[in-house]
Amino acid sequence: MANSILAYVTLAMILFSTGLVGVIVRKNIFIIYMSIELLLNAIILLFVALARYYESMDAQVIALFVIAVAAAEAAVFLSLIVVLYRHKKSLNCESFTILAQKDIK
Amino acid sequence: MYPDFLYIAPLVFVGFGGILLMLLSPFKQITIRMAAFIALFFMLCATGLYFYNISELYSYYPYAQTFGSMIVADNYSAYFSTILLAGAIFTILIGVHYFEKNRGFTTEFFSLFLFSLFGMMLLVHATELITVLIALEIASLSLYVMIGFQKHLDKRMEASFRYLVLGSISGAFFLLGTAFIYANTQTTKISQIGIFIQNNPQSDVMLLIMGVCFIFITFLFKIAAFPLQNWAIDVYDGAPYPVTAFMAGTFKAAIFGFILRFVLVDLELIIDFWDNILYVVILLTLLYGSFLAIIQQSLKRMLAASSIVHTGYLLIAFISIDITGKSAASSIIFYLVAYFLSSMGAFGLLSYISSDDKVRITYEDFRGFAHIRPYMAAMMSVFMLSLAGIPSTIGFIGKFYIFVAAIESGYTLLAVFGILATFVSIYYYFRLIAIMYFYPSAKMQDVPTLHGMAPYFIGIISLIIIWGGIGNTLITYFPGVDFLMDMARLAYDSLQVK
Repeated sequence: MANSILAYVTLAMILFSTGLVGVIVRKNIFIIYMSIELLLNAIILLFVALARYYESMDAQVIALFVIAVAAAEAAVFLSLIVVLYRHKKSLNCESFTILAQKDIK
Repeated sequence: MYPDFLYIAPLVFVGFGGILLMLLSPFKQITIRMAAFIALFFMLCATGLYFYNISELYSYYPYAQTFGSMIVADNYSAYFSTILLAGAIFTILIGVHYFEKNRGFTTEFFSLFLFSLFGMMLLVHATELITVLIALEIASLSLYVMIGFQKHLDKRMEASFRYLVLGSISGAFFLLGTAFIYANTQTTKISQIGIFIQNNPQSDVMLLIMGVCFIFITFLFKIAAFPLQNWAIDVYDGAPYPVTAFMAGTFKAAIFGFILRFVLVDLELIIDFWDNILYVVILLTLLYGSFLAIIQQSLKRMLAASSIVHTGYLLIAFISIDITGKSAASSIIFYLVAYFLSSMGAFGLLSYISSDDKVRITYEDFRGFAHIRPYMAAMMSVFMLSLAGIPSTIGFIGKFYIFVAAIESGYTLLAVFGILATFVSIYYYFRLIAIMYFYPSAKMQDVPTLHGMAPYFIGIISLIIIWGGIGNTLITYFPGVDFLMDMARLAYDSLQVK
């Protein structure tokens, strides 16, 4: 049992790290969004593994709630991506430079 | 004891108001002004209910069976919710003018506004980490949409997207922290984590400490402290003025409301673990925030950058919390009130001046402003004085309590740094006052005169600020600063009720 939880936690952490690196290095806003989903899914996996390990239902319920939160976030994200694409005709996040860290005269 | 429903009635009112406005939004007859007044009605009802049992100490779990003790109603949550509601009410009252004048706002905006307020109120009521996450996400998701509501403006969309990406990552860190805490303690209830720490020696809580570190990352991000502050200026700059005011004053108070409960109930025994990290964070927040505020030319960006410095002051009191954290905790609660009033006034006045959809926000635009609009200039001066912490304003009293708490807990050096940062802040706040008063001819001529209700409420805020500074020495029995301070102490006490 102890070995299996270790495997699941390791997998979850690898997924989480992949997602974090994806958010930082990728330029396409759609892939940034998918990386953030990966972060949340890694955590869902972690909770489900913990639920199995402790043999308790609490963590499973938490996992369901996290899925709901991820769905709400997806709604806002996707609609924003559509609007941004209409404005810029591009999904590259380097084309969004109006609010760059400089003083606007 | 009162019936359970009364304790959650304010939450129900605000949430119901949001749903009702959402259902009403397809009707063309509902104007923006009507929607604003419907929202105001629900918020005022909710505020009234918090004064129901104001002076007695209570801590009660409404519907403990149904909600599983995940929501608590106590003096602490009532105090914070009243701050949040007051912030929201002032935002609407001052902002109606702005919403009517600018293109792109519809009645759905007020529905989202109430949902966001509902999330923040739930945040200070919650005693369970997943409930906290859901409350945080309700508040943040509504804010993302509110920032980007005028979708014809590129600036708004960019601000919304930046906040959305960074906010989602910080939410993921919060969840990761919760998972670690759950792995260690098998519970996510805030009161039971504290019991777990008491029952276990230091060596068994390493995973818990890591989890709390992740939660602190979210906390530092949301309040814009040093390593995670870069989003704040851009997002505050890109958002509409009333939303900026709402975020700067109110959301920050809600986040502090949660984290103070978490720290005071659970982590009092092991909070010293983070002192060294927080020490560095505070120094750099003060330093870098002051630097950012000095270099800005735009007033809105300057106020956004100075909010980072104010975060630094709040964190000074936060680090001063120890086993007897009473004065430090209540000074944070009081400073939040002082800051929310001052920033709400400043942003509100800016939104009024620039509400005819012209961009007019730099220091230079205010040259000689006092000669054409003396009352507005006077109000702006009061807000700047209060933000800088000059005596006879509420901002001074707030800073005074914070530095006293820091010195009492032995963080004299941090208090000195805080006072130095205040000296620096006088430069960028008083620069505006000097530009308004010391030039003979006015640069802008087409400022709207005082009409409508917004200027009156901005005036009321400036009177409250002055009253907070000098009130108690003039008339003893009328509620002033001492009243707020007593309530803050009572709120702290209600956390200790078992």
